[in-house]
Amino acid sequence: MLKEQLQKFFKIDRRWIFLLLAVTLFVPIMKPLGLPNKTISPATKRVYENLEKLPAGSFVLFSLDYDPSTRPELHPMATALVRHAFSRNLKVGVVTYIAGSTGLIEELFAKVSREYNKVDGQDYVIFPYQPNILAVLTQMSSDLYGIYSKDRNGTPVRDMPVLKGIKSYKDMSVIVCVTGTAILDYWVAYVGDKYRVPVAGGVTAISQPGYGPYLQTNQLKGLIGGMKGAAEYESLIKQPGKGTSGIDALNLAHLLVLALIFTSNILLILIRYL
Amino acid sequence: MKLIKKQIPLAIVFITGVLTLVSYYVPHKMSVNYIETINKWENIVVAFAFLLGLVSLFFSHYNKISRKVDGWGYSIFVFIGFLAMVVPALVSQGKQMTDTGFTALGWSYKFIYTSLSGTMFAVLAFYIVSTAYRSFRIRSLQAFVLFIAAFILILGKVPLGQIIWDWVLGWTGRGVNDVIEWIMQVPAVAGKRGIMIGISIGAIVTSLKIIFGIEKQYMGKD
Repeated sequence: MLKEQLQKFFKIDRRWIFLLLAVTLFVPIMKPLGLPNKTISPATKRVYENLEKLPAGSFVLFSLDYDPSTRPELHPMATALVRHAFSRNLKVGVVTYIAGSTGLIEELFAKVSREYNKVDGQDYVIFPYQPNILAVLTQMSSDLYGIYSKDRNGTPVRDMPVLKGIKSYKDMSVIVCVTGTAILDYWVAYVGDKYRVPVAGGVTAISQPGYGPYLQTNQLKGLIGGMKGAAEYESLIKQPGKGTSGIDALNLAHLLVLALIFTSNILLILIRYL
Repeated sequence: MKLIKKQIPLAIVFITGVLTLVSYYVPHKMSVNYIETINKWENIVVAFAFLLGLVSLFFSHYNKISRKVDGWGYSIFVFIGFLAMVVPALVSQGKQMTDTGFTALGWSYKFIYTSLSGTMFAVLAFYIVSTAYRSFRIRSLQAFVLFIAAFILILGKVPLGQIIWDWVLGWTGRGVNDVIEWIMQVPAVAGKRGIMIGISIGAIVTSLKIIFGIEKQYMGKD
């Protein structure tokens, strides 16, 4: 009798679980818990230190390759990285190999450049989307202007103050790729290793474990992973943003997943031995 | 005929393959110029491939609509979605923002593309949680090990989990981050490295087979 009743729990309409998750996510978004992020992972700290040690005026290339589907995880870390670069008065270049990311890049720079009074063409440049990443990465090793002669608005880039003295990778101080795809692997293999340029990354939490080998061998000079990584970077630059607030929703969602796995397995054990 | 259909394409692949491979390792002006030329050719080919894909997509969905096959209504949205982004892009000349705010393209991007893309991805979260309850069964030692690793990672990735860990297992003197660091640095890296080496060897072997004409499937059946 009890066994049959317990078995009913496995036949529960999945929409009840959907509702439970929706409520679990909705509550902290509306009323954040504000739990402190106590620890900062060494990999995130390495990205921060790589930017922090650069002298003002150094050129940093950001490869922002994510679209709205991974925006909640990756946009906060990209925002924090650009804020850090601008606060250190670094010159910033932006490339992208995902067509869907162009709008997010526009949005990011429209906001952050105003916060730091940075001028397009003088302090930063946004290059247009390019398909065929491998050809572009290879081309940039010898002549950046061979592939990027104009910025995303069609303005010639060769004489822009932000690009003064920048011709190829050897003139760049750090490259940071924020992506939910395998594009970071290309930066490591085709650029970092071959031309000895420091490459750091920011990736979704799900792809973070895959970059362990690159971190161990120092082929990757740091890695920001998922929303937690974004929150960590925000706390390093002392500017809480969407990463910090988003982690509240993750708090409860993660615990809900664990609670559901526990519940279903305990029910299974009870059914088996009753 | 055999010369045109088989031997010349194989010769082109062999010469291009060897030259490109060698250019990667030879830092000479000639190899740099060669790579630059090949890159430009590649970009042109990619542009044509993109156009070909687009035409093929349209034909496929046009046929579904004209023959009214099951689910033909969804094919209409392929054209609606395409027009909803391409028309504003043409009107705005590819610009998403001006000093006054969003252009038509910027508006379409923010309020159509972003919303749709975000929604599609967010739906995954619901299925993951539902699957966690319905399908994650610890029935073997391997499943148990997987569960323990997943449990620690899920718990340690959020501040609330870290607080719970310290409360329950604080007496061990090990923080959850120390355990996560070990999982990521030792077993995860070992597994990932094995996979990476396997994939790389496979890719090298396949590339060599294509360059030396052992693998010819890309040429078709004729």
